[in-house]
Amino acid sequence: MSFVKEFAKGLWKELPPFRLVLGLCPTLAVTKSAADGLGMGAAVIFVLVLSNAIISMVRKIIPKKVRIACFIVIAASLVVAVELLMQAYAYPLYQSLGIFVPLIVVNCIILGRAEAFASKNPVHLSIADGLGMGIGFTMSLTFLGALREVFGAGKLFGATVFGPDFKPFTFMVEAPGAFVCLGLILGAMNYLAIWQSKRKGLPEPSLAASCGGCRACSIGESKQIMQEG
Amino acid sequence: MAKEATAPTLYTVAAPPHWHCGRTVTGVMQQYILALVPAAVMAVVYYGLPALRVMALSCATAVAVEALCCRVMDRESSVDDFHAVLVGLLLAFLLPAMAPWWLVVMGSALAIIIGKMFFGGLGGNPLCPAVVGWAIVALSWKTQADPDAMVLSTMLVNPLTQLKYLGLEAAGQVSLTDMLLGRQLGGLGATQVLALFAGGFYLISRGLLRCYVPLAFLAGVLLAGLAFSLADPGAQPGPLFHLFTGSVVLAAFFLATDPSSSPVTRPGMVAFGLTAGVMTVLIRVYGIYPDGTPFAVLFAALFTPVFDLLRPKPFGAR
Repeated sequence: MSFVKEFAKGLWKELPPFRLVLGLCPTLAVTKSAADGLGMGAAVIFVLVLSNAIISMVRKIIPKKVRIACFIVIAASLVVAVELLMQAYAYPLYQSLGIFVPLIVVNCIILGRAEAFASKNPVHLSIADGLGMGIGFTMSLTFLGALREVFGAGKLFGATVFGPDFKPFTFMVEAPGAFVCLGLILGAMNYLAIWQSKRKGLPEPSLAASCGGCRACSIGESKQIMQEG
Repeated sequence: MAKEATAPTLYTVAAPPHWHCGRTVTGVMQQYILALVPAAVMAVVYYGLPALRVMALSCATAVAVEALCCRVMDRESSVDDFHAVLVGLLLAFLLPAMAPWWLVVMGSALAIIIGKMFFGGLGGNPLCPAVVGWAIVALSWKTQADPDAMVLSTMLVNPLTQLKYLGLEAAGQVSLTDMLLGRQLGGLGATQVLALFAGGFYLISRGLLRCYVPLAFLAGVLLAGLAFSLADPGAQPGPLFHLFTGSVVLAAFFLATDPSSSPVTRPGMVAFGLTAGVMTVLIRVYGIYPDGTPFAVLFAALFTPVFDLLRPKPFGAR
């Protein structure tokens, strides 16, 4: 039961880029097209699931003081693996993602999930968490990529959507368009959350962007407890 | 506001001060629009009815979109303060007279939505709304938003494009008098230099516009232009060329002075104007855009919070 719960929370309730507002570097930089977003998401799923699994396995051996370094080493080895795999089997994708493949190492989601979840939970739950978060991340990136590609280039996964008279809204595939789109989606998510809780008669939820309900505060708290203890 | 009063004797008491000079947002906006009228008339004289079409469409879209936004945001409609009309008019001034209708509609709608209403309406915008709308459409549809590519049925030339692609000699065919009178190609109202000067001075003389930003902006353009022309007189035009071309005068008096995106302190305003002015010339000389004035205004507006830190020492402070 809790396996399903940990898996499902990454799909909507704690959707990484739009609820936790984590992992924004690839979210903004590689979503020029839906295919790029999907490829980036797949790479992140691979790294996230394996790093969560490995970190969860070795969590009792890692000394508290050097845990961040250990997490980074594990994530970095996995990223190198994914980079080499991509070069071997998906070279065009590797070329279009460019520097952002190695940059998965410093993606906040990897470290965030390792610190907040995998280092405290058993292996099977960590895998579920990684899988859910990874799939949520992929969904978000593909959605944002599709949105920007449709309006910015008039295409979806490379196929033309609009007629020949459509003048592409190039702003959307430029860098500022990414920020505006992200802001719009965050706003829409907040609006949905307010609407839902209003319908259920609940008090207003804590929102992304202002606080996010991201549990980052609980990370800080646990850190304090650790320092005090 | 439409809620029923709970008690029968409930009097509305406005917050103090209870007397004021009679100046209202609506009144100020109307004066701004009045100051833009000469340039609008000149634009119709030079470009004919297409210019009027762009201006009317832009203003109408801005008002409609703002009314719609207010409806969606569940707040009292703010279109009666004429700010939307002003934004629409300023945006139209930056566009070519032959701009396609969808470009005008998109620019005007985005100026109001992204430039103004996202930040809570008038007074909350960190950037000048009209410039935001222009920047988005100019980035997206380079050809359709470019006066050189759109206005073909005219004898006017754009001195800035001539300078960029053909050199100083080609730019010299437009005399300073022609530039002053608006006989140059550009955004439909942005190039009516004399009319815009008249409007700007009218606002300053009525006390509706403080002179620091415009004067510092013009000074920045003149200084930077002078520096470049002294450094390389063979390839760079004189400072007055930079002052009278493109949308410099419009930006100095109407775009950079946008109340909520420009600093409030006197030293801050001067620094803001100088930055925008110098940036204008830098973009023209080194950038890929023939006229970077609106981008310079956006750039300077990003630093407004920093310029606001330049404030006079309070009396008695240590």
